Amino acid sequence: MAVTETDLVLQAQLGDRNAYGELVRRHYQGVVRVVYRMCSDTALAEDATQEAFIKAWLNLPSFRPNAPFRSWLYRIAINTALDLLRRKPEVSLEENQIELVKDPIAGPESSLIEKERSALVQQAIKSLPEATRSVLVLREYGGLSYQEIAKALDLPLGTVMSRLNYARMRLRELLKGVLSQMESEHE
Amino acid sequence: MNEHITDLLSAYLDGELRGLRLRQVEDHLTICAACRQELDELRSLSGLLHETLPAKAFTPTERFAVNLALWLPRRPERAPARKVSESAWWLVPAGAVSVWIFLQTATIVSTLVTTAGAAGLLGNAASWLQSGPQQSVWFSASMNLFGSDLSGSSRTLLTILNSISVFETGFWAQLVWQAGIGLVILVWLAAWLTHVRTGGQSRFPQTGSHS
Repeated sequence: MAVTETDLVLQAQLGDRNAYGELVRRHYQGVVRVVYRMCSDTALAEDATQEAFIKAWLNLPSFRPNAPFRSWLYRIAINTALDLLRRKPEVSLEENQIELVKDPIAGPESSLIEKERSALVQQAIKSLPEATRSVLVLREYGGLSYQEIAKALDLPLGTVMSRLNYARMRLRELLKGVLSQMESEHE
Repeated sequence: MNEHITDLLSAYLDGELRGLRLRQVEDHLTICAACRQELDELRSLSGLLHETLPAKAFTPTERFAVNLALWLPRRPERAPARKVSESAWWLVPAGAVSVWIFLQTATIVSTLVTTAGAAGLLGNAASWLQSGPQQSVWFSASMNLFGSDLSGSSRTLLTILNSISVFETGFWAQLVWQAGIGLVILVWLAAWLTHVRTGGQSRFPQTGSHS
């Protein structure tokens, strides 16, 4: 029988590193995706993710086991990413300098288009205000429900909805060209 | 329903609407082409956000978990638990010293009052001294001065102490209770030194290879 997350959290609270390792395995991909979209830099995102998991480990004894662990963890991750960004505000979009992860089936042209799109998307996300960006990345890349986002960011549910509406409206404006290009490709 | 429902479309797309709200949106979408167009655009945006990849691949999960395990620091014990535990340790000697001070004061006061009464210095005020043959001087004094403020259990305790004449059995009785308190403090001291040497680290067992 699979061990529940609550059991793992309780064991990790008592100092069980194996239980905590399992929690890390379950949440790493979501956390690193969210953090990357917050700061637009892979290396920085991995640093922030590691720091966030270490902070979570240190603060785990004060976590209430009945509270949603995911919201709590993502709150730490978002705050850590923002702290790192403030310490290194000069972080630039790396898509222009570093080779994009390539789809092995796609040709070079397709890869170039994908690279440009990724850069534009990341640039658009990065241009959003921090408060709005946090809500958007938690929803789109963390897959959190509105309730979980409200808990993670300590916001009323209505504010989560309005910030998400604003973020999507803004992104649609910023990515108008890419969206219409995609539409014409599919026709 | 003619009003557009743009504000609800994000929540509808995310599957966050329930009940009446959900039905309202679904009904509206069947009759409003503008809102359907809006919803399609939101879907396209969501697709775009998900299909774009990061510039570099992230460290694989297993490798990250293994590396993180090496970096995890030893977790300090929970501060509140420690505070409670430490203060509990100091309750023992504090209690023993308090008992000693109380008994010493009671004995001195009792001696002084008895002496003053015998010398006639207290006059009528010493009439409570003759309140009964069973009552010791300290007991009579306590009851007269604080009787109305004492709780039932405190009165019972004082009555027991009075009935066993704890303060009036002379030198040997004093020697016995003072030695008793001394013994309690010595036992506590031995236990405390053991606790300090072991570091009091038995409360948070660590499992795993890096504990």
